[in-house]
Amino acid sequence: MACLHDHSCEEHDCSSDWSLYKHIDLPKVSALNEAVPGSVKTVFRAWEQRLNSSEGYLESNEGDPELIVFIPFTSDVKLKSISIVGGADGTSPAKLRAFINRDGIDFSDAQNMQPVQEWELAENFQGVLEYQTRYSRFQSVGNITLHFPDNFGGDTTQIHYIGLKGEATQLKRDVVATIVYELMPNPSDHKTRAETGGGLSQV
Amino acid sequence: MICVDNSEWMRNGDYSPTRFQAQADAVNLICGAKTQSNPENTVGVLTMAGKGVRVLVTPTSDLGKILACMHGLEIGGEMNLAAGIQVAQLALKHRQNKKQQQRIIVFAGSPVKYDKKVLELIGRKLKKNSVALDIVNFGEEDEEKAEKLEALLAAVNNNDSSHIVHVPPGPSALSDVLISTPIFTGDGEGGSGFAAAAAAAAGGVPGYDFGVDPNLDPELALALRVSMEEERARQEAAAKKAAEETSKQEKGEQQSTSQDATMTENVTAGSSETEKKTHDLTDDENALLQQALAMSMDDSSSTAAVRDTDMSDASAEDHDLQLALQLSVQEGAADQQNQTDVNKLLGDQSFMSSILASLPGVDPNDPHVKDLLASMQSQSENKDKDEDLKEEEKK
Repeated sequence: MACLHDHSCEEHDCSSDWSLYKHIDLPKVSALNEAVPGSVKTVFRAWEQRLNSSEGYLESNEGDPELIVFIPFTSDVKLKSISIVGGADGTSPAKLRAFINRDGIDFSDAQNMQPVQEWELAENFQGVLEYQTRYSRFQSVGNITLHFPDNFGGDTTQIHYIGLKGEATQLKRDVVATIVYELMPNPSDHKTRAETGGGLSQV
Repeated sequence: MICVDNSEWMRNGDYSPTRFQAQADAVNLICGAKTQSNPENTVGVLTMAGKGVRVLVTPTSDLGKILACMHGLEIGGEMNLAAGIQVAQLALKHRQNKKQQQRIIVFAGSPVKYDKKVLELIGRKLKKNSVALDIVNFGEEDEEKAEKLEALLAAVNNNDSSHIVHVPPGPSALSDVLISTPIFTGDGEGGSGFAAAAAAAAGGVPGYDFGVDPNLDPELALALRVSMEEERARQEAAAKKAAEETSKQEKGEQQSTSQDATMTENVTAGSSETEKKTHDLTDDENALLQQALAMSMDDSSSTAAVRDTDMSDASAEDHDLQLALQLSVQEGAADQQNQTDVNKLLGDQSFMSSILASLPGVDPNDPHVKDLLASMQSQSENKDKDEDLKEEEKK
């Protein structure tokens, strides 16, 4: 279900199409089996920057090509297609399985559960390949979990860019949260300016 | 999730009172620290030995539940480290709040029967699912055990979030040793505050003078320090008094009135005054009472005057009665009485001369001073006459 996206970009504006990254709740993005904690956040960029991985890329641990990326959105989105740019030398992911609106999926869950959709990926160094979704199933996506079980034979799996194409709605999923109220303030939550080393403190 | 070792090896007494008790104390302390440091923290406990791996408490923030279940534990069986860790991982996976970070704390007291490869595999699986692991190596010591646990830690460790602590048997309790480790202080959480307080309370006192953390309670710490210094000053004064007293006894006794006469309002002079007064009461039993007197003497000069006059009136033998009289005199005594006493004092010629002699820069033989004395004496006589007249009129 891959289509070659080889055109001169004059007819329509690619960058605005691939702008779902703006609706990603970046602080809450997480990944499992990443070698450098937090490196998953560098993978979401504008379309023009898709090949520019100067800030870092997502790499799995040595000898283990599996990766799970959890992407929450700030509002519900309709997802049309996904684009993945992997690394060279067989470190590109070979398969992609997607789960929708599920919290806290780990590797044993991902292996046992039936994904909403899965794709066979090809090596995509220029970022021109996009993988369409079964649109009817991706109508109101509050968060999406991407599971990369395999790669093309490399020791680790590298992902340089994840692009998401679709529309953002203004709706938000109602989450019933168990909220914990503090009886006493937690000092680590209230760093004063004096501690962070800036400005005059007034007493 | 805390994995407790309740195998047969825990009966040993090389950690006081028994290994199991030391472990239980450490577990209680850790649970307290975790729940206090962040209100959203939850802690669970499972046992690795006994009939099999069993989860006693699923992760909860209720400290009471955890303490209760630690209370009724029994010792027996063999520890199953691998199964224990895997069950802990499962318990963490099914936690209610998915935002919580996962961590397992293992107390490894008995020998580890699994080989390194198995442990490394477990470690890698934990790392993959971003579970941190803290290992407390205590109890049985064989070289393989330490090696295996270190290998396990190396497999799990991701960015220094996992730790291992080796506690050798010794006089200090297991919990005291743990308090200073990163297991307790966490990853820079507020757990360190709790740890500091617990350490001070335990009496280990890493660096707090009075068992009170100045950060937690500055006023209490200050009050303790001030009272300590006051006590020290008092003791120095008492020591000085004792030294002076022995030296005075060698010189010989002086008149009681002259001693009492040195009445100044200076505090330092007050201490010398008390020295002379103690000379008056050479009885050893009264030394303590004198100290009390000395302290109360520093309060106000008027009350001191009352005591002084009582002293001068009393005969030399009746010391106890005099002291009792003095002590029973309230500070709110009638001013009249004070006044008459003072007047009597002033009337006493010899008394006055001795006072004046002690005052610097005054020569009692100076004619001016003599005139003054005479006038004051006549005044006091007049006052006495007036009082007598009044009494007669009342009658």
